[in-house]
Amino acid sequence: MIDLSGWLWPGAGLGLVTELQQVWWYFSLGLWLVAAAFSVSFMAKTPHGGRYWLFFTLSFAGNMLLIIALDAISFYIGFSVMSLSAYGLVVHSGDKSARRAGRLYLQLAIVGELLLFAALILRASAADGQYDWHSWQQVPLDHLTILLTISGLGLKAGFWPLHIWLPQAHPAAPAPASAVLSGAMIKAGVLGLVLFLPAGDPQLQRWVPYMICLGFFSAGFGVLVSLLYRQPKVILAYSSVSQVGYILILVALAWTDNAAAVLPVLMAYAAHHAVAKGALFLFAGINPKQRLPAYWQLLFWLPALALMAIPLSGGAAIKTGLKSLLSTTTMSGWLDSGMLAGLLSLGAWLTAVLFFHLAAMLRQQQQRLGPRTGQPGFALYWQAASVMLLLLVLILLPWQWQPLLQLSLTTLAWPTIWTLCWPLLLALLLVVLVRWRQWQLPAHYYDRNSGVLLWSLWLKRLYQPQQQWQAAQWQLSWRPVERALNRLAPDNVVGPSALLIIVLLVAASAFW
Amino acid sequence: MSPFWLSYLPLAIILSSLLPGLIIFTLKEHQVKLRIALNLLGVTVKLVLVLIMWQAVKAGAIFYFRVPFLPGADLILQGDALSLLFVVLSSVLWLATTIYAIGYLENSPLRSRFFGYFSLCVSATVGLALSGNLVSFLLFYELLTLATFPLVVHRGTPEALAAGRRYLAYTLSGGLLLLTGVALLHSLVQSPQFIPGGYVSAVVREHSGLLQLAFGLMIAGLGVKAALLPLHGWLPQAMVAPAPVSALLHAVAVVKAGAFGIIRLVYDVFGVDSMQQLQLAEPLMLLAATTILYGSWRALAQQDIKKRLAYSTISQVSYITVGVAMLGPLAAVGGLVHLVHQGVMKITLFFCAGNYAETLGVHKIRELNGAGRRMPLTSAAFTLGALGMIGIPPTAGFISKWYLGLGAVATDNSMMLLVFVFSGLLNAAYFLPIVYRLWFLPQRSSWPKEQRLSATLETHWMLLLPMLFTALLIILMGLFASTGVSPLSWTQLIVEREFSYD
Repeated sequence: MIDLSGWLWPGAGLGLVTELQQVWWYFSLGLWLVAAAFSVSFMAKTPHGGRYWLFFTLSFAGNMLLIIALDAISFYIGFSVMSLSAYGLVVHSGDKSARRAGRLYLQLAIVGELLLFAALILRASAADGQYDWHSWQQVPLDHLTILLTISGLGLKAGFWPLHIWLPQAHPAAPAPASAVLSGAMIKAGVLGLVLFLPAGDPQLQRWVPYMICLGFFSAGFGVLVSLLYRQPKVILAYSSVSQVGYILILVALAWTDNAAAVLPVLMAYAAHHAVAKGALFLFAGINPKQRLPAYWQLLFWLPALALMAIPLSGGAAIKTGLKSLLSTTTMSGWLDSGMLAGLLSLGAWLTAVLFFHLAAMLRQQQQRLGPRTGQPGFALYWQAASVMLLLLVLILLPWQWQPLLQLSLTTLAWPTIWTLCWPLLLALLLVVLVRWRQWQLPAHYYDRNSGVLLWSLWLKRLYQPQQQWQAAQWQLSWRPVERALNRLAPDNVVGPSALLIIVLLVAASAFW
Repeated sequence: MSPFWLSYLPLAIILSSLLPGLIIFTLKEHQVKLRIALNLLGVTVKLVLVLIMWQAVKAGAIFYFRVPFLPGADLILQGDALSLLFVVLSSVLWLATTIYAIGYLENSPLRSRFFGYFSLCVSATVGLALSGNLVSFLLFYELLTLATFPLVVHRGTPEALAAGRRYLAYTLSGGLLLLTGVALLHSLVQSPQFIPGGYVSAVVREHSGLLQLAFGLMIAGLGVKAALLPLHGWLPQAMVAPAPVSALLHAVAVVKAGAFGIIRLVYDVFGVDSMQQLQLAEPLMLLAATTILYGSWRALAQQDIKKRLAYSTISQVSYITVGVAMLGPLAAVGGLVHLVHQGVMKITLFFCAGNYAETLGVHKIRELNGAGRRMPLTSAAFTLGALGMIGIPPTAGFISKWYLGLGAVATDNSMMLLVFVFSGLLNAAYFLPIVYRLWFLPQRSSWPKEQRLSATLETHWMLLLPMLFTALLIILMGLFASTGVSPLSWTQLIVEREFSYD
């Protein structure tokens, strides 16, 4: 660890001290590097290449800085650099949808930034001028700080209802940028939520059940809305909203006293989702370029099945871990363990439905490209190799990484396999049924423009007004007054003036 | 340090710019080299003297110079930590602005007059910073008004003359109010030297009403220059002046003179305890908070670059007043450090605006599309200044907002935190669209009035260098705020001395 407190501010430091930071560092770094390798060929012939790399590097640096930060201010610096420079990635293509997505992104990024600023101020005041994580762990929270922190960082993490920028920005950005937006930058918000709010705080405990509900709602909401869209990248963005819902549940569980048991699962979930979602976004960039050989579909199905938690995948291990965590936590009221388990199974079923839907849309995209025109070129192979790199990690992760290995081994029992499989089979059944009967919603339900764009436009008009209330220009002109006085005065001014002065002097001496 | 220097160094600092200024008035228009040499000589000598004084004050020395002036009120110059803050700011930025002005006004007429008044203006500012009691402060305050007027009307166009008239009307009536207030206070407690903790506490009980009246009059007088809410009207108009003048006006000389006066008034004339007893801080704070929001709100609709910057100044300078009026040490650090930070950020932005105007002929925001490609360094500096104004780390603006925020919480003014957050939003709303135009939109048509001022660089190096210097300062002051040479550490020293009087 590097101690910078002599140079910068008290408690300033960089380093990978906790396991949380290490895991975050490695998966983020890996994803960023793979995305960079992908970009080398993917962005090769597009205009404004220099600008793309500038913003890519800046947000990369910001993301890495916030992970290794040992104090809140370094985190905040990294967070702002990352958030603001990611704007350059979102609007990169410069077309209309990118610009309005970028506008929404920037508006919310600034709002999030300032909410977080207020939270930091309150927290730093409570901690008596200390900024390092370690001191902050000892300081009790209050509800306002919690609210500000959750909304400030949640705007980056993107769970419902703070997700609104996400389905706009991720599809607008170039594929490698959306991969890091979804894989790494969302996780930065999640990391902040764990670091800023100390586990076991009594005030925070009261938020846990609500956050779990919010997480479940976000998980379901993301999937249901995604079914109304047909662009693969929009579907993937909504899938991120849904997956962040589960991560939020884990974060909320990590706020309880049980943090030690929860953190490994949280880290595994974040890393797994980052790698899988990164691979999917990269593939969604390759898919519309050219008609691909059928076996290239493997690049899609491997990460998709992992996220659907098919047995033997990392997703299965994580889902099982989540389930066992939820079954051991005791929540008050109706949120009992049976309910939670049911919700998890429902969630698994919905996730599977989403990915079958996505597969169909990817296939349609391919079919629209027409018949195959030849073998993929070197550029495509290079890009596919980048995706393969991620997939390799994805396959090896559950069997090579110690915390996940324990969970993976437990999934090998038949009852577990069955609990993992039946939602998938049910989803498959539903999808087949829908295809067969050709059930569809009326066309105008699909691909609607989101209402938040209108809101964003309204906001823009509000802060870029063409005209504003003007203070009345109040001009005082002495000239007319002087003229009127002149007209009143007789031709001979000297006599009356002298008289006036004498009268005034006499009056003054009388009063003295 | 010898007693001679302890007494005459403040005078020497003022004379180091006054004498070259007076000589410059006598120069012929074509004696360019001599004029530049005189200017630079003055700047260098001043910087060296200020450096000496800075080291001495840091070590605990007190500079003191006195000549009899009025009965009961001598003309006092003193060098304490607070005055040094302002002196260093104005000397360093004077260096940058002088170089900029030499480049900006190359081949334009009446330069001897311009640089003469320019030097007078800085002498008055430094004198105001060094003045040791209210009467000397008032003297330099009025001198500053007179020295800046010719700069505002320098171009001689009808708008410039109108703006000058307005400027004079506002500042002279402000000066009159200040004079009345000072006289009233003088009749109560005389005009002793500024002292941490103030000198009015003896008469607070018997004359509370009169003290409040005097405070109100003086705040109204100072508020004209500090552009507090109903008295800000001259500032957006005065932006017709040449860019270096606007830069100096907004960052150092006039606006800051008002803010500095408020700081002196609150801490060294009334003192924190008397302010609390007289209940004067709360109204001042609310007025300043309103100004912050109002200025930002008005800036949204301005389509002229310099006009938008002017409204932004109105808003940003009131941060200083708010920080002072919250009467807590942390808030004071935030307010005082913003005096420096705002100066450096705003001067950068005005340099950039001047570069766009001079190189491309661009004055309106909508004409800026794609300027980032043509003038990358200027645009980068502008971006940095804009981010600083919003308060994005690691720029200097973040540091001041951070301390202001901490101070607001520490003094139980959580509403002020809301004001800072909201003002940050508004700042982003009027600065980021400009940044967006610079970098992301394609150029619309050819530039209104493009000039090739340099063969290799985007514009004349004298226009570029000062801007890059101040832009670099924005980052350095933000990043290394905790080191011993930063403005932040200096303000902490000031606040330590101001708040530890008892």
